[in-house]
Amino acid sequence: MKLTEHTGLAVKYCERLGVDEAEAFAQSVQTNEVVIERAEIQNERVKTQRGIGIRVIKKKNLGFAFTSVLSKESIEQTCRNAKSLAHISLPNPDWVSLPIVAKLPRTPAGTFDAETADMSANDVLKLAMKACDGAKACDKRVTIDDGKFSVVRGEAAVTNSHGVEADGNGTLLSGYLICVAKDKGEVSSMAFEYDVARSLKDFSPKRIGKVAAQRAVASLGPKAVASFTGKVLLDCEVAAEILLQPVVASVNADNVQRGRSLWAGKLGEEVASEKLTVVDDGLMPKGIGSSRFDAEGAPCQKTQVITAGKLEGFLHNSFTANKEKRKSTGNAFRGGYDMLPSIFVSNLVVKAGKKQLDDIIAEVDKGIIVRRFSGNVRPDSGEFSGIAKQASYIENGEIKYSLKETMVSGNAFQTLKNVIEIGSETRPTTLQAYVPPILVDKVNVVSE
Amino acid sequence: MIKDLLEESLRKSHGYVEMRYHKRDTFSVSVKDGKIDTLNSGSIAGVCARVLLDGSFGFSSTTIVEKENVNRMLKDADSLAKTSKPKKKRRVTLAKIKPAKDEYETSMKVDPRKADKQELVRSVIDTDKEVRAFSKSIVSDTVGLNIIDDELLFVSSEGAEITQRIVRCLGIVTAIAREKGNIASAVDSIGEQGGLEVLKKTPLINAGKTAAERASKLVKVETAPGGTYPVILENKIVGLLAHEAVGHCSEADLVYGGSFLADKIGKEVASEKVTLVDDGRFPNGFGTMKYDDEGTPTQKTVVIEKGVARSFLHSRETAKQFKVAPTGNARAWNFEFDPIIRMRNTYIEPGRYTLEELAEDIKEGFFLKGGMSGQADFTGEFMFGTQEAVRIKNGRFGESLRGVTISGNAFEVLKNTDAIGKDFIMRTGLCGKEQVNYVGMGGGSLRTKLLLGGMR
Repeated sequence: MKLTEHTGLAVKYCERLGVDEAEAFAQSVQTNEVVIERAEIQNERVKTQRGIGIRVIKKKNLGFAFTSVLSKESIEQTCRNAKSLAHISLPNPDWVSLPIVAKLPRTPAGTFDAETADMSANDVLKLAMKACDGAKACDKRVTIDDGKFSVVRGEAAVTNSHGVEADGNGTLLSGYLICVAKDKGEVSSMAFEYDVARSLKDFSPKRIGKVAAQRAVASLGPKAVASFTGKVLLDCEVAAEILLQPVVASVNADNVQRGRSLWAGKLGEEVASEKLTVVDDGLMPKGIGSSRFDAEGAPCQKTQVITAGKLEGFLHNSFTANKEKRKSTGNAFRGGYDMLPSIFVSNLVVKAGKKQLDDIIAEVDKGIIVRRFSGNVRPDSGEFSGIAKQASYIENGEIKYSLKETMVSGNAFQTLKNVIEIGSETRPTTLQAYVPPILVDKVNVVSE
Repeated sequence: MIKDLLEESLRKSHGYVEMRYHKRDTFSVSVKDGKIDTLNSGSIAGVCARVLLDGSFGFSSTTIVEKENVNRMLKDADSLAKTSKPKKKRRVTLAKIKPAKDEYETSMKVDPRKADKQELVRSVIDTDKEVRAFSKSIVSDTVGLNIIDDELLFVSSEGAEITQRIVRCLGIVTAIAREKGNIASAVDSIGEQGGLEVLKKTPLINAGKTAAERASKLVKVETAPGGTYPVILENKIVGLLAHEAVGHCSEADLVYGGSFLADKIGKEVASEKVTLVDDGRFPNGFGTMKYDDEGTPTQKTVVIEKGVARSFLHSRETAKQFKVAPTGNARAWNFEFDPIIRMRNTYIEPGRYTLEELAEDIKEGFFLKGGMSGQADFTGEFMFGTQEAVRIKNGRFGESLRGVTISGNAFEVLKNTDAIGKDFIMRTGLCGKEQVNYVGMGGGSLRTKLLLGGMR
């Protein structure tokens, strides 16, 4: 049975129960994953997951229920549960409507790959082994601490009582490896490298192994640096975590409307260095967050967020959009069928600069490069502080030595204005943001 | 019956087979800024099979609990065990346990299945009102209440048959304050394993008041300075330290990988004031269960006794490797995961001092309050966020500053621990180690010194 048949059945049944509006979101996910620990296969798993979440509205009262059992009886019971919750809820005066029918764009290219979809658990095992071999081949001092490789084949469908009906599928490969280097009784810090892609041909396990190993070796023999305030070069993943995470929170229209965003009321104002341009592109070919429709069945689109440092737009789902009588930007997001839609980026893309990482390093008189960050970022206030891992000291345009664990701290909203350079080598990060390395100034570097 | 379905299926493999059925019913309410944001109920159920064939594990799970799918799942696990074997060096054997036939249920006064949901919703709405009324600077809040009701069934080809029902209640309040272009947020939680009587014992508004008071205080102040200082870690943070930085180093799989505690059994690893325990049966602990997910009975495991390392935490596999008895620490988040070594309720035993006494000998330092997420390496290196840093000067508590990330080596921190408070509390936690799980973390406030990563 197709997923839309389940969602269609649910919506029809809800209508018979006498609710004003109803929506069903169903998901089916097949996962093959392999967990590596100490260069050994620790676990391998085949997972089949599916389920349906049902949202009903009666007199502006909202109820939501979900189940992992997709039988007719179970779905009908879940509809009744949602309705009875709506019954005991309170009206939300801001409620307007579920999305109405809108023309969907074409499915973005490269979001489903048949070869990837057909991969067996054994194929994933081979990928993992390739990554491990890549690390081992790199340097004898390297040992693999842990890692994980997975292939996901997913399908989702949404139907609502206004006639919205959408379904689609996608594939995603992801993997990471953590390596340490051991030399003459010294143990390096843990070096991390990852990759994520929609198709097998865009995924390079060998490179993961090689880079993780190289980074582990490079972090041997660390020295301390005296505390200073100055230039810090943030590698892609770190730039995403420290700088973009507060951006994601601040352009979330729900946070804006609730006064939780420091950027509320600042549209058109300068919020970052003019070097920074950011778009949210839900239709990007091969994008890890690309789809033709969002978690409410509304069309995905490309939304300008920051243009040359100026705040240009916020990201909406249908609820926040209706509140302002505007169109949703197609950013409704669900962590799974068991969750109500919230707002999240699709593919948040930072416009790449022209300089490669080495050229940026060459221009730094004194600073550090941070390749991994283990700390806290407060997305609302922008405060960040934590340990710079896999970090090196840069002097006169050259990497001099690796650093002992050093703390970095600052405020992301200030730091966004202190961007000196944006690199050219953009990568997808765990934040679902495509980010190049970013050189910033006036960050606190604190050591013991 | 599901039990019969699983027991019939597990005979089809030649290896050692464990099958688990897990149904998780959840009910959650959250109120944001006076409006109901979510009102959910749901049920996720599924089964999994783990097969051990010639020393190689295979694992598979499905949410389709029907005969054909269960049999296919077992086949998948079986064939994974076979195909992955040539790629593994490790040959697994399991420590022997007596297969149990038993039942366990969380001790409850008010079973949430019989709850008046409307009343629960009302209590969340009332809390939200109070939080917003706390101060003019509170611009937004979220008050959430979650009830998690787990039904677990474990059967094995050794003949084990264990059913457990574990009920947890958890409330979280976030308050956001804004003033003069500044923003500050604070979060606090309540909860434990138990029925709805938890909400009487520790009302949601307790967390609400802590969060609202802290956010409205911190919106006016700067971030604490960086550097090494003598500090008092609040009891709420001590549990995090016990768990994140120390506990993980005692998990036998990490010990095997060369964690800090690897060669330290019988040796001094902390000050003699420190006794650290991982207890699978702590009354109402968030991580309490009678049997772990390999069917091993849980126990109270003393990891560090008066500063000396005593025991690791084991699964059946590592117990066999280390030639000890399994400690009942093999846990799985749900049916989608195979059990791995996890902590249950980890705590540092309380001392005898009051907070004022702990502060007495500090000339210049901080009282760090409110834990936030943290990370640690198995070397004992850790970092985690704190929400608030109260200045201590000449033995007295002074003004509050915004908290910062703290870091260091946990065993250094424990060696430098010279006094522990009597203000013991056990908190709820959600720990991530490849898969997440519910844990308890506890302790009394303690005095030590460490590095604050603040502004200069």
